[in-house]
Amino acid sequence: MFENPEISLDALPRVDTVDWHGMDPKFTHHKLTASAIAFAIVLVAVALLQTVFRIAFADNPAIGLGWLWLVPLVVGVAGFTWPFVSVPKKGYAVRDKDIIYKSGVFWRTVTAIPFNRIQHVEKSSTPLDRHYHLATLQLFTAGGAGGDLKIHGLSAKTAEKLRTFILNKVGSSVEDD
Amino acid sequence: MKTTEQKRWHHTSPLAAIFYLGRIYKAIAQNAVQSLAPLAALLFASKGDLVGRMTFGVAVFVASTIIVAFIRYWFFRYRIGDDSILIREGVLKKTQLDIRFNRIQAINTQQNIVFRLFDLVTVQFDTAGSAKQEGHLPAIRSAFADSLKERIRDRRPANAADSDDQTESEIESRSLLQLGIKDMVRIGLSSNRALVFLVLLGPVLDNMENRIEAAIDDSAMLAALDGAGLSIASGIGLVLSVSILFILVLAIASIIGAFLRYHRFELRAENNVLRSIGGLLTRHEHSVNIAKIQSLRAIQNPVLRLFRRFRLRAKQASSGRRSKGKLFIIPICEPAQLRSLGSEVFGDEFAGVDLQPKSPSFRPIAMNFVRSRFLLFGLLPSLLAVLLYFFLLGKAALFFLIWIPVSAFAAWVYYRKYGFAIGANGMVLRKGFIGYQTTAFLFRKVQRISVTQTPRQKRKGLATIRFFLASGSLRLPYVDNQMAKDLRDYILYKVETSRRAWH
Repeated sequence: MFENPEISLDALPRVDTVDWHGMDPKFTHHKLTASAIAFAIVLVAVALLQTVFRIAFADNPAIGLGWLWLVPLVVGVAGFTWPFVSVPKKGYAVRDKDIIYKSGVFWRTVTAIPFNRIQHVEKSSTPLDRHYHLATLQLFTAGGAGGDLKIHGLSAKTAEKLRTFILNKVGSSVEDD
Repeated sequence: MKTTEQKRWHHTSPLAAIFYLGRIYKAIAQNAVQSLAPLAALLFASKGDLVGRMTFGVAVFVASTIIVAFIRYWFFRYRIGDDSILIREGVLKKTQLDIRFNRIQAINTQQNIVFRLFDLVTVQFDTAGSAKQEGHLPAIRSAFADSLKERIRDRRPANAADSDDQTESEIESRSLLQLGIKDMVRIGLSSNRALVFLVLLGPVLDNMENRIEAAIDDSAMLAALDGAGLSIASGIGLVLSVSILFILVLAIASIIGAFLRYHRFELRAENNVLRSIGGLLTRHEHSVNIAKIQSLRAIQNPVLRLFRRFRLRAKQASSGRRSKGKLFIIPICEPAQLRSLGSEVFGDEFAGVDLQPKSPSFRPIAMNFVRSRFLLFGLLPSLLAVLLYFFLLGKAALFFLIWIPVSAFAAWVYYRKYGFAIGANGMVLRKGFIGYQTTAFLFRKVQRISVTQTPRQKRKGLATIRFFLASGSLRLPYVDNQMAKDLRDYILYKVETSRRAWH
């Protein structure tokens, strides 16, 4: 049985009109904690370097490495402000036949994956994720490099719900050859 | 039960050792130093004159590889089941491979000159999985290989639908393309390898000239040249003629390469399969299930443009690694054949597919592309370079400004080559710099689609679309934002209502 109804562009379901779900609010905290850890590591590293150099060049104080303190400053400022900018820009929407994910501050990207093209779904969480009850959902489609879409910052519950929902959808999409 | 099971395990022909010998030498060539180190140690440990040692070394090397090849042959067994083929191999590390017929994407065969005498072929199975899963049957009877191919083809789900109106023994087979001697010359001259050599030759020649000039400065050398009755002019002439000879030799080598690989190349369509056969000494046979082709690309480099010819490349789903086996290549074809081969691949679904880069159906992308590329890759880096080097070189740093017009021109050329043509069920993308490449694909085979906007694109109402196919992703930059969104929604509709398998 072959049907080929004419479709007008206006009648197509639009991605633009979906209701976006934001990421879990705890995701911002998660990112800030990660930034704090990174900041601490850089701070310690620079302090160590400074000490080593001060001892090594004790007789020659002209060699100053004061500008190295700029590195933790930049890392700190970026790390503690960026999550407030980037997290609200992320979002996802689930429709009957596909899932849509948006992200990016300067390069704003909207990606759509039809369920009948998803190969498998993976849910993962790092120790930090688990501390905030968050999880990452990874959707795999066929095709080489970049064959997956990662959605960070879902609450563990939502991630599990989405995973089961998508797997059901993937399983039910029957294909004829 | 046990005896019948064992009876069904087969050895291939002992000539399979040749296949393994080839593999061993290839492996040695790939990591030559480590492989040859023990041999070299043995060579120098033994006493005797150098020639004797060398002969001994070569003899040991050849003998040991032949023995290894035979051992590998002896341990290779296969069994054909109802819906799969089982392969057992390995001497120390035993492996058993179970290749299901319906997972096989392509069956390729190779027949080297010795195999041809004994009517044997090596069959390679290309599966959708990882590279490790790809099995081979070396040196089996070609009649058996054909029957195996037929069996696997019948097992493929893609043929199931057609089996009603076709009797099993009847295979519709049409010749689509045959290449002659002139084509071999064209393939040889237009191959990328030849192009790379020509490009690489530039600096090499420069280097050679410098060396010769340096040598000429050396008075002793000059005296020697004079003594030989050569002037500086004839010295330069010598360099020139040597380099021309070099290019000539390379070109001839490339043409010989084309003969070896593609001699008497023929492309045939058999039911749902494209099959290519070609090669002078080793006959290569490749086949691809048309339903599994994800994208079709026509390539025209400057040399091919001169010949008014194209190279075609059909891509299947890839497992990430860049493996040549997933490519089906038609080395050369005429512009008219571009259309017929295109409709062969896409059928009625994309009847109007036109891969010709000059086709009027192509629409340009937005001019803002030039500005963005120029700012990002032209103005910014050259100004930075001037700034950085000003302290070191002084005014000489202004030389970097020359990059500005060059990059502007390059951005313009890129812009001119970009294009896209949208059909009802698929589209064609065109891009290039010194040549053209046009890529066609079906909407229903799209895996994922993304639309991206930079702040500037947003102000100008533009966007960049990226189509993710199972064979890799394709980008269409700087198109109208509304059109991009419409196209995305339309493609999603096409994918989501499609009931046909994409692979």
